[in-house]
Amino acid sequence: MKSLMRFPGARLVSHASFVIIIWFLVMRLNGSVDPLANYYIALVAMYATAMFGMVILVGLSGQVSLGNGALMAVGGYVFAVTSLHWQTVPILGVPWNGWWSMGFAAVGGIVVGLLIGGIAARLRGPYLAGLTLGLAVGVPAIANRFPELLGGESGLMLTVPYPEGGYAPVEEEVFIDSSADTLSGDVSTVAAPSAEATVAPDDMLTMDNFPTTDASAAAPSPDASMIDPGATDISGVDLSGTSDLIDASFIIERWQAGLAITVACIAAFIALNLVRGRQGRVWRAVRDDSVAAAVAGISPAKAKVSAFAVSSLFAALAGAVFAQILSYVGPGAFGLGLSLSLLVGVVLGGRSSLLGAVIGGILLVWLPEFVLSLSEKGGWEDQITNNAPNLIYGLLVVLVVLLAPGGIVGSAQLFLAKVTRRAPKGV
Amino acid sequence: MTSLIDYLIGGVSNGAVIALMAIALVLIWRATRVVNFAQVGQAMFTTFVALTVQTMTGSWALALVVAMVAGAILGVIVQFLVLRPMRRADTSGAIIATFGVLIALQAAVGMIWGGDAQAYPQPFDNAGIVAFGRIWPISVYDFVVIGVTILLVVALSLLFTRTSIGLAMRASAFNPEVARLSGVRVSRVLTFGWALAGVVGAVAGVLVAPSSTVSPTTFDILLVFAFTAAVIGGLDSLVGAVALGVFAGLVISLVSGVSNSGNAPVVALVLLALSLITKPDGIFGHHKARAV
Repeated sequence: MKSLMRFPGARLVSHASFVIIIWFLVMRLNGSVDPLANYYIALVAMYATAMFGMVILVGLSGQVSLGNGALMAVGGYVFAVTSLHWQTVPILGVPWNGWWSMGFAAVGGIVVGLLIGGIAARLRGPYLAGLTLGLAVGVPAIANRFPELLGGESGLMLTVPYPEGGYAPVEEEVFIDSSADTLSGDVSTVAAPSAEATVAPDDMLTMDNFPTTDASAAAPSPDASMIDPGATDISGVDLSGTSDLIDASFIIERWQAGLAITVACIAAFIALNLVRGRQGRVWRAVRDDSVAAAVAGISPAKAKVSAFAVSSLFAALAGAVFAQILSYVGPGAFGLGLSLSLLVGVVLGGRSSLLGAVIGGILLVWLPEFVLSLSEKGGWEDQITNNAPNLIYGLLVVLVVLLAPGGIVGSAQLFLAKVTRRAPKGV
Repeated sequence: MTSLIDYLIGGVSNGAVIALMAIALVLIWRATRVVNFAQVGQAMFTTFVALTVQTMTGSWALALVVAMVAGAILGVIVQFLVLRPMRRADTSGAIIATFGVLIALQAAVGMIWGGDAQAYPQPFDNAGIVAFGRIWPISVYDFVVIGVTILLVVALSLLFTRTSIGLAMRASAFNPEVARLSGVRVSRVLTFGWALAGVVGAVAGVLVAPSSTVSPTTFDILLVFAFTAAVIGGLDSLVGAVALGVFAGLVISLVSGVSNSGNAPVVALVLLALSLITKPDGIFGHHKARAV
C-alpha cells in the first residue's frame, strides 16, 4: 500500500476519492433526514468550510485571526450584490446563475485576503489579533456606509437560486406582482425585465430590498449562533399563490444543505492537498521557526500571505453559502460574534486538524440545541438559556488552551499514541 | 467652522475614556506581554455591578468605587486562573485564552443582567454649558469625565515614578530575571499590574456608560478604539496611550459629526492598518530588533 503512494498524483487521487466518498455518504444522509436536520447539516458544512481556513491560518501558520467573520461578510455581500444586480455575466453575456456569484465571492475573498495578508505578514501575534479584531468590527460597518448598494443596517434580503425542479421561473413573476409595492425603485426596475428576458431554470430570483422599517421584523436574528430555523423558511411566505406549481419533492433546506456540503467538500479537497503537501510543511516551518525556515530557502512573508489568501477564500465561500442559508446578508449576521464562533470552533475541535474543523462545526451547531433541550426540561429563564452556550464556549476555550492545546482531535491523537505506544503524528 | 470646533470639543471626553481603556491594555502588556482582549469584558461586568449599586443606593460615587474594587478583584482572578498557569504557553494560546475570557464574561453578564441594552442613569447635568452667549457642546458631566481621567493619569504616573511598587513594576517589565535577582517578587508585581489595569478599565466603563446604553457587547467597539490607540501609541507607552486615546476620540467625534457615527469603526480600522503598515512598533514605542 505504501509503495502505491510513490506514483506521481497518487496523493491527489487518494484525496479526491476520499472526499468523493465522504460527499456521497453525507449527501445520502442529507437525503434521508427531515428539513430541520438538513438545516443543521447545512450550518455544520458552512462552519466547516470557514474553519478549514482557520485551521490553515491559526493552526498551521500560527496567525490568530479574528477577522474571518469579516471575510465571510465579503463573500456573502459579493454573492448578494452580484446576484442582485447582474442578470448576465459581463463580457461573456451568458445568463447569470448562483455559481457565478459563488465564483465572484471566491475571487473577492482571495483579493481581500491578499490585501490583509500583505499587512498581516509584517505583524506579530497581538498586533495581528488586534488588526483582525478591527476588521471584524469595521467591515460589517462598511455596509452602513453604502446603504443603497449594501442595504445598510437592515441588510439585503435575497432569494436563493433554485435548481431545476424547483419553482424558480414561475415564482419570479408572482413574487414581483405580489410585492411590487414594497420594492424600492432601482431594484425593481433592474429585476422586472429579467423575468421575461431570462428564463433559465437556475437563474437568480428577484432580490427584495426591504424598507428599513420592515426589515427589523423580517430579517433573521442577527446573532449567528442563535438563528431561528423558522426564519430561513421563506417557502411559507412566498409560495402561497403558487403552491400547485412546485415540485412536491423539492425541500429548500435539503437543497441548501446539499449546496453547503458540496462547497465544504471542494474546500476540504483543496485544504487536504495543501495541508498534507509541501505547502503545509512550509506553513508549519514558518510557524515553528521563521528564521530556520528562511535559512532553508522559504520566504516567511510569502507563506503568511498565502495562508491568509487560502483561509480568506474558504471564508468567502462559507459566507456565500451562509447568505444562501439565511436568504439574507446584513451587518448583524457577520458581526464579531461570528468571528469569535469560528475561533471557538477551531480551538475546541483542534487547531491543527481539518477533522477538528468539522468537529468544531458540529459543536457550534449542537451545543446551543443541547442547551435549549436542557432548558426546556429544566424550565430555565430565557436569559440563562440564551447565554449558557457562550459561557460554556468561553470556559471551554480557556480550559482547552490551558490543558489540551490540541483540542479534541489533538488530545485523541495523544491518547491513541499512548495506547499504541507510537509517537504522535506530526501536527 | 464653529461646527468643526464643536465636534472636536465634544470628542475630548470620549477620547478620555478611550485613553483610560488604552492605559489598561498598556499596563498589562508592559507587565506580561499579553494584550488583554478580555479587558472590555471585565469593564462591562464591573459597569453592571456599578449599575446595580447605583440603582440600590442612588450614589454615583459609591458605584464608581465599588466598580473599581470589583475591577481589581476580577483582574486578579483572570490573571490567577487563566494567564498565570500558562506563562510558558505560546503567544497564540494567550491571545485565544483572553478571547475565551471575553466570551465567557459577556455571557455571564447576559445571564445575570440580561442581554438587552439598559440605560445608565446620568449622574450630572448632561446639557451643553451656556457661556459667552452660546451653548457649548460640552457638559458638566464631560468635565467630570475629563477630571477623573486626569486624576487617574497623574496618580498612575506618581505611582510609577515615586513609589517602590512602581519601581518594582518598571523593573519587572524591563527585565523580569534581573528584577527577580534584585529581590523583586515579580509574580506578585504582575498580579498587582492586572489589578491596576482592572481598576482603570472599570473607571473607563462607568464613565462611558451614561453616554451610551449598556449591554453585554456595547463595549466591543471601545476595545477596537482602545486597541488602536494603544498600538499607535506603541503598546509600551502610557503617554502614547493617553495622547492617542484623546486623538482617537477627537477623530471619531469629527467623523461621526461630519458623516454618521456608523463610520467610526471603519475609520478606526483604517487608522490601525495605516499605522501598522508604516510603524509596526508605534509612534511612542521603543523599537526593538526582532527575528525576521
